[in-house]
Amino acid sequence: MSSIANLPAVIRNRYHGFISFLFLLGLWSAASHYNLFSREYLPTPVAVVTAFIRLLSSGQLCISLGSSLLRIIAGFFVGTSLGFVFGAAMGVSQTMEKLFAPLFNALRQVPVIGWIPLIIVWCGIAETSKITFIAIGAFFPILISTFEGIRSVSPSYVDVARVFEYSRFKLLSTIVLPGALPGIVSGIRLSMGTSWLLVVWAEINTRSAAGIGDLLTRSSEGKKADVAFVCIIVIGIVACLINELFGQLETRLSSWRKSYR
Amino acid sequence: MERLGTLEVKHLQKRYRTRNDDLTVLDDINLTVQPGEFISIIGSSGCGKTTFLRLVVGLEKGYEGEILLDGQKLNGPSLKRGVVFQDHRLLPWFSIEKNVGLGLKHPKSAESRKTIQEHLELVGLKGFEKHYPHQLSGGMSQRAAIARALVNRPEILLLDEPLGALDALTRMYMHQELERIWKQEGITMIMITHDVDEAIVLSDKIVVMSSRPGTIKKIIPVPLARPRDRASYDFVKIKEEVLEEFQLHTDYPFTYTI
Repeated sequence: MSSIANLPAVIRNRYHGFISFLFLLGLWSAASHYNLFSREYLPTPVAVVTAFIRLLSSGQLCISLGSSLLRIIAGFFVGTSLGFVFGAAMGVSQTMEKLFAPLFNALRQVPVIGWIPLIIVWCGIAETSKITFIAIGAFFPILISTFEGIRSVSPSYVDVARVFEYSRFKLLSTIVLPGALPGIVSGIRLSMGTSWLLVVWAEINTRSAAGIGDLLTRSSEGKKADVAFVCIIVIGIVACLINELFGQLETRLSSWRKSYR
Repeated sequence: MERLGTLEVKHLQKRYRTRNDDLTVLDDINLTVQPGEFISIIGSSGCGKTTFLRLVVGLEKGYEGEILLDGQKLNGPSLKRGVVFQDHRLLPWFSIEKNVGLGLKHPKSAESRKTIQEHLELVGLKGFEKHYPHQLSGGMSQRAAIARALVNRPEILLLDEPLGALDALTRMYMHQELERIWKQEGITMIMITHDVDEAIVLSDKIVVMSSRPGTIKKIIPVPLARPRDRASYDFVKIKEEVLEEFQLHTDYPFTYTI
């Protein structure tokens, strides 16, 4: 409710961001108006809007976007849950850190894309493989930010807990977790970003019936640049919105932190 | 009923052992603090005064000798001893109200709410319940920290350079406030400081410590009427007495070589 009421304020504060988009749009319109490139390579803005309406009215876009989103949610959920559990365990217990840190540090060096062949061998090319792939990508950012978030909680606050005779549980719930929360949320945001990136990758590499990545691949086969443009713009906008959502959450949860700005 | 809050320290020694070093931080500390007394411990940095305080709080373990509170040997931290640290250590993610209630078992009960409110009033922070620590000035934060330390009604309040980070004017104002709180609560206070004026303004006794190893060099009583006048003859006399303790190491304290 309040966010709708604040819309003019949002525009007033953020219009700088739109300028670069408008500039790009202007450049694009000019290039297609003067036929600088072949229509096959660079479709006109009107063609892209038409393609967008066509894809939207046929339901193809919604189905693609929906199935991609479902994959992201599933993979993201598995990845962040596991990442949080391991990150928290390593942050809280030194033994856990010693046990797992070397392993995860080694695994982290493998580019997520490097897992694709193995995942295809293990999980086939059905849903499981895509979700596993996203889960791996989402796992590491949240693992590291949870671990670092917990470790960054100042030991002087732990002294406060000791003076007040806190139990271990109360120490964790009142001091460690709230202190680590902003870090954890920014990890979630990073994981979400990675998930978006990877769903497109996974869909391109392991074909599926529906998905925004599939729509993108098929557009290249039929030399349909307009569809590719629609996909790219939609991916960008949705990713931007999700990032904004988590950004808001992060700001709200860390309002107690004084920013340098 | 006997008033609680007697602290007895007998032959206290604290050593830190590292692989190739054996460092004695505190040596043969003997001190008795009566209930309701205000004691200042003054010494140059590195004399072990903070270690002493952390031992009395129970945050630091492994010492020789005895630390007794009302005749009982200390065993870890306890709600009977409140602490105000040099940095206020308010939890930045909680409101002032919640921070003050941190030491209470059931901070949401009606009784606790009343206690929190009373203590906020005591330190003059009424109306700042919902504020967050970053919205408060240094002096206000330290007052909130004092309220938080007092909320459990401890027998002793230990203050580790509580006003060290404040500017001179705020500090003088906080001296008045601290004295008022001390009188109102009738609580034993032990304050670490390196500010001689502050020690004389507030204390019944000043404990002067020497460094490496930290020992008690002298205990200077301050038999002046309160509130104390910083410009009075007696005040200056005591100040000289304290300052003299810090210049005894050398015959010529101000000589230097090029």
